[in-house]
Parts: sequence; C-alpha cells; structure tokens
Amino acid sequence: MARTTWLSLLVAIILLGLPASGAVNAVAADEQVLRVLGQDPPTLDPQLSGDSASAEYIVEIFSGLVTFDQDLKPVPDLAEWWQISEDGRVYTFHLRQNARFHNGKPVRAQDFKYSFERACDPATASFTADTYLGDIVGCRDKLAHHANEVQGVEVVDDHTLRITIDQPRVYFLSKLSFPASFVLDQENIERGGDTWTDQPNGTGPFKLAEIQLGERIILERNDDYYREPKPQLERIEFELAGGSAMVRYEQDELDMIQVGMNDIERVTDPNNPLNQELRQVESLGVFYIEFNVNQPPFDDVKVRQAFNHALDRSRIINVVYKKTRPVAWGIIPPSMPNYDNPDLKPLEFDPDLARELIAESKYGDVSEFPDITFQVLGAGGATGRVIEAIVASYKDNLGVDIEVQQTDWATFLTDLNRPDNTNQMWGGEAGWIADYPDPHNFLDVLFRCGSSQNHSHYCNPAVDKLLDEAAREQDNTKRERIYRQVEQIIVDEAPWVPLFFEVEYWLVKPYVKNAYLPPMIMPKFQYYYLEH
Amino acid sequence: MLAYLVRRLLWLPALLVIVAFITFALGYYGPGDPMAALLGPRYNKEVAARLAHQYGFDRPFLEQFFNYVQRVVRLDFGESIKYRHQPVTRLLGPRLAITLQLNAASSFIGVVVGIGLGMLAAWRRGQLVDRIIIFGVMLGRAIPTFVAGPILLLVFARSIPLLPPGGWDGLFSPSAVLPVLLLSLGPMAIFARQTRAGMIEVMREDYIRTARAKGLTEKTIIVVHALRNAFIPLLTILGFLLGSLVEGTFLTETIFGIPGMGLLAFESLTGRDFPVIIAITLLVAVGYAMGNLWADMLYGVVDPRIRRA
Repeated sequence: MARTTWLSLLVAIILLGLPASGAVNAVAADEQVLRVLGQDPPTLDPQLSGDSASAEYIVEIFSGLVTFDQDLKPVPDLAEWWQISEDGRVYTFHLRQNARFHNGKPVRAQDFKYSFERACDPATASFTADTYLGDIVGCRDKLAHHANEVQGVEVVDDHTLRITIDQPRVYFLSKLSFPASFVLDQENIERGGDTWTDQPNGTGPFKLAEIQLGERIILERNDDYYREPKPQLERIEFELAGGSAMVRYEQDELDMIQVGMNDIERVTDPNNPLNQELRQVESLGVFYIEFNVNQPPFDDVKVRQAFNHALDRSRIINVVYKKTRPVAWGIIPPSMPNYDNPDLKPLEFDPDLARELIAESKYGDVSEFPDITFQVLGAGGATGRVIEAIVASYKDNLGVDIEVQQTDWATFLTDLNRPDNTNQMWGGEAGWIADYPDPHNFLDVLFRCGSSQNHSHYCNPAVDKLLDEAAREQDNTKRERIYRQVEQIIVDEAPWVPLFFEVEYWLVKPYVKNAYLPPMIMPKFQYYYLEH
Repeated sequence: MLAYLVRRLLWLPALLVIVAFITFALGYYGPGDPMAALLGPRYNKEVAARLAHQYGFDRPFLEQFFNYVQRVVRLDFGESIKYRHQPVTRLLGPRLAITLQLNAASSFIGVVVGIGLGMLAAWRRGQLVDRIIIFGVMLGRAIPTFVAGPILLLVFARSIPLLPPGGWDGLFSPSAVLPVLLLSLGPMAIFARQTRAGMIEVMREDYIRTARAKGLTEKTIIVVHALRNAFIPLLTILGFLLGSLVEGTFLTETIFGIPGMGLLAFESLTGRDFPVIIAITLLVAVGYAMGNLWADMLYGVVDPRIRRA
C-alpha cells in the first residue's frame, strides 16, 4: 500500500508540473514575434564563421560596407556610397553618418580598420579571411606572418575608408558582403575575451537578446538601425530543438519552416490546404558528380564525356526528387543574377554516343578500365536513391560496374583535399552553394588550375586566361560573354556530371508579410512583418 | 566494504587514462581530419595547417596526449573545434543536465513499473495476466525507437494533439512525457522479465516452502523473503542502467528534438570534434564505473553475506 501511495504521489507531481500544452510558444496575436527553427551556431564571430548555421544569425546582428538588395545587386550598407578608381584597384567608401553600434557608439572608419586587421591576423585563426579579404593588399602577407599591418586598408578620416586590392576584380564588392568583412567593436571584443559573442555589440537590424545553445536564440529589433527598410519585427525566436518541424508548423507553433523531401509530395499537391502557403526558392547551388581527371579512366576526356552522355539525368532527378529540382546541364544555377547561358550545348543523354566515345578513348573498351570506386557521403547506412540510380544507369548503359564507397563528412573532405587523392569519382549528393552571387564563385573558384576547391584537378590554361579576363572586365555584357565561353569549355571537357540545381521549399503562414526568401544567406528579416 | 570501495575508487583514474588513451589514439590514427571537417568546402591547406598548429594537432601523439591529460587533471577539457572558443564544459553542462533528467526519469519509471509488473506476472504465473504483461513489455521493447517514436508523435501530437511534438521545456513539462515513456520501455521490459524469472526461481526454494509452512501470508512471503533474494541479479543490471544515465540517447533525442548529449555526441563524431568526443567518452566511463560501484554497494545492503565477505 505504501508503495502504491508513493507511486501515485510521483504521478501526481508529474501531472501537476505539466503546463497546459497550448502554452508552449504562445505569442499574443498583436505581437511582432516571428517563430522559426534554427540550428546551433558554431560561432557568432563573423570572422570565425564559415558555415551557414552561424551566418544565418550573424548577417542579422552585424553588418558591413556592402550588402545585396532583393535582386542580388551589391548596394551600400554601412557605406553610404563609394568610388572606384579608374584602374579598378582602389575603393573609397564613405560611411553613413548615422550608423551606430547597438550600444549607440558611432561607427567610424577606424572600426573597419580594426576589423580588417583582426580578420587578417593569424592569431584570430579566421579561415575565411584568405578567401574574402585576401585580395586586399597586405592581408595575405599578414596572414602569413610577413607583415604586421594590412597596408591596403587606410583610414582617410572618421567616415572615409580606402581599400586597395592587388588587381582589378569586378566581384570584389560582392565579397565585401560576406561576414568576414563586417565591422566589429574593438572594445566589445577586448572586454568580452573569448566569449565576447555572448553579448555582441553589432550594427545589424537585430540585436542578440538571448542565446541558449541547443535550446533557443532570440533576436530583438535594433530601433536605431541606420537604413531602410527598418526592421518591424520586435523579436525573432529561433527554436534550436523541438522535433518534427512539419507537425509544429501545422500546430501553429512555428511561423515558417523549410520543407523536407518526406513532405514534398503532400505540400505540392494543389488540393492540400498547405499548398497555399508553399513558397519556392531557387538557390544558388548545384549538385554534381566530380571526376578526378588525374586518375584512370577519367584522365581521358572522352571517357568523362561518355559518363555524361550515359546518364539519363532528367529521369533520375525527376523520379528521385519528385520533379522538385531542375536538371543541371551546366555549372551555373539559373538563379544567378546577370547571367544566363541560353546557347549552352549540354552533353545530353545519348547512350549510343557514350559507347562510341569509349570506343574512341585510349581505353577502347570498358573491360580495359581499372576498377571504379564512387565515393559518396553517408554514415554507414544505405546509399541514397540518386546514387543507386546513377550506379544502375552506368551498368545498364555502359556495362561498367561501379563500387560505391560511403564515407562520413570528415573523411570525405579529408580525402578530397589530399594532394595525392586517388579517388576516381565522388559526389552525387554533395554540391556547391554560392557565397556571393557571381559566376566567379563557381567557374573561377571550382575550375581554375590549382584552386583549393578544384578537387577534380581539372586544368586548362586557356580557361584560366579567360577567367583572368573576366575578373578584370568592367562591362557586364562582355564579362557575361566570357563566362559563357568558360562554362561551355568546362561542360565539354566534362570534369563534372552536373545533376541538379538546388531549390528550397518553404511553408510560410499567410500572416507573415513581405517574407523575402533569398537564394543565399543574407539579411532578410528586416523586410518581414506580421499581420494577424 | 570500505577497503573494497577505496580500492575500486583508486582504479578509476587508471581506467580513465586507459579510456582517454584509446579514444585519443582512435582519433589520431583514424580516418578524417578535424580541420577538413571544420573548413568544409572552404578547405585550404595553408589555413588548415595554421589552424592545426593553433589547436596543437601538429605535435607528436604522445605530446598531445600528455598535454591533454595534464589539462584534464585541472578539469580543463579544452575548447571545442566546431563551436569555436567554446569550452567543452560549457557545451556539455546544459546537455548533460537534460540527458540526466531524461534518463533518470525513464530509468526510474522503467525499473519501478518493470519490477511491479514482474512481481505480478510471477504471482500470476501461467495465467492470462502473466501472458499479457510479458507480451506487452516485450512488444514495447521489440518495436525500435525509430518506429515507436514517430507513432507516439503521430498519435499524441498530431491526431490527438494532447502533447507538443517535441522540444524540451524541462522534466515536468508535457514535452518530456513521450520521450520519457519511450525510453522507459527498455528497462521496463528487462526488469519485468528478470523480476519474474528471479521470483519464480526463488519461490521454489526450500525457505519459501518453510515460510509457507509457518503460516505466513503470501504477501509477506513475497515482499519479505522472495523479493529480497530475487533482487540480487537485478542489481547487476541496475549498475549498467545507472552507468548509462549520462549516455545520450541519440535516436530519441533526434526524434523529439531534445538538446541532450546524444545529439552533441553524434555531431562531434561526424565533425571530428575530438575535445568534445573525448570528454563525452570519459564522462560515460565515469558513469559506468560509478554505476557499477553503486550496484556493488547495494549487493551488500540487500545481502549481508556479501557485506561481510
């Protein structure tokens, strides 16, 4: 009896401790509070971040000289306007007089000087400074301990900053929109030590109000934000935990969610009420199979072309991704601003041509191929359906047996980055998402001879020459023409089999107005407001 | 007993050094570079070398290991690689608290309900109640978490929206009900089966027959004489259960979106976040060592003969 009583008491305590279910995430209807899902940010230090989870918050809390408008055009942010010298190397930025940090302190050119010096200081250990600020004269020298100062960043006066880059680079302004270039408050960092990001003094449209890793992050409106559009949301609550996003959205616990593949069919069904709330965003991302052009049999361009022609991409992508992603025939996503390549001649599905190309290759026949291993991402389970379909297609259309090797993220990347990487082909469910909306971020970064991200080891000096020309070219039409030419050469020489361009699907409650969903990470919540 | 306890506690540091050494060696010699995981697609070998130097990963294995042990002695587990400049203890603390609550509550319910059901099944051995209990607990145990979790969510969060579909608002909140229930099914089945088997065996013993012959009531016989002896094999299982209190439950935490140790452990493994991985491994080792120590001490409480030995 005593035990029964004790158990009853425990159950009673538990039941009494239960708040009403509806109380979770309850927000008054007239409040401007947006509830979304988030991920744990590895850091909120703009100079240490390189991942999308961190950048999502950083772009709202901090800001820099340049940002993008909704057409992905670089527009002034903390800089009110700028001048570019005739030789395209010197940028003079005139800062806004009304720009202030969250604590009210005015933003001065000296703050930018401090921020760039810190980013290029090897002690900071920023791994994005090299990529995004490396064009600035002196940054790479400082990163390599060869200089104490970034000579290319000069304070002209409190509100004028001059930046000199090593050679004309049309895309340089786009790079300045990346978090590594954001302005930081020296006092905030020096007082806060290693954990200064617990209370960051940023300049962005929102301030960090609360951070509980694994639980929630709350951003509050910055009422002194310096430019239009001024943020209207009072608060953004990012839930970092919490089970099924779809169920929570349907129970009105979240105001917007990204839809996963499992729910795609449901929400794209026009008869489903949720379909009215569905939004589609073409991201600046491409997924592909990559060949190691130094390894047989992919050291022969005809074999690589044959592997392009032998894959029925349309069928595979439309079946596996349920017609939710466009098939990629080229390298650059169609959502890229100021770029289009309507005359691109793709390597279309043609198994007969594929077999002919193999016969013409130095191998003559697939029986002369060495064993082929296809390295894919995974954690020990079954491979994805795309991978299965790719392997089956090559077996059916070329008679090639391909062995799939599944490795986790760290091993996959380690292998890829080894200079003596002997893997032959990889990818399928791995891709590249742009950091800035410029063809340079695809063609130059991924295909230039010796580039760190050029894992295929593809190298064509003629392509590099065109890439140099494009980087210098100020005329957008001429520049687009050069990049079109480069894209065609790369498609023809086939270090990749492009598979599909990334598309995101979002559900957004009808009362969330002006819900701009950009194709890449950039500040967006300042556009939003709620109308219940 | 005290000497035994001291001896066991003295072994603990040696055990931890061995566990740390094995984990360290696996990380050092195993595939996957933490810098590659950290830098991702932005990998650049100069930057990777600079970062590796900063984290001390370019030093010889033994030097790295001894430096680590020296720091751990001062309870400094270093900084996470993925969560930059975040001390490991700061990352683990809140997650450990959640995992401990979750596991403690589910273990408690599992053990108490399991023993109760086991006793009832033994008492009604061969009858319908016995069969229903054993079938029920084994069914709960047999359905994998990745099936049972979504079913519970579907029923109690979607079809009959009584409970939230996930998250963690504390142990005494609706968000804890489903994960605690799901996690309690495992220990419940084990304890019900073991209690039933132990009780049936003990009930056949001569001293039970003697107790019956003395005219004691069935309840006194079960509670005073049978249960105590049936408990001894259960304590070994309890030791392991106590040890697992600090262990994350990755599947359950993922399904219900609970920010506990399981998710952190999984992220750390895939991201080669060695300082976090080693700290979690050591914590789990301490958990098991202490859990078994408690179980050994409880043997003495339940059976005085062991205490005297």
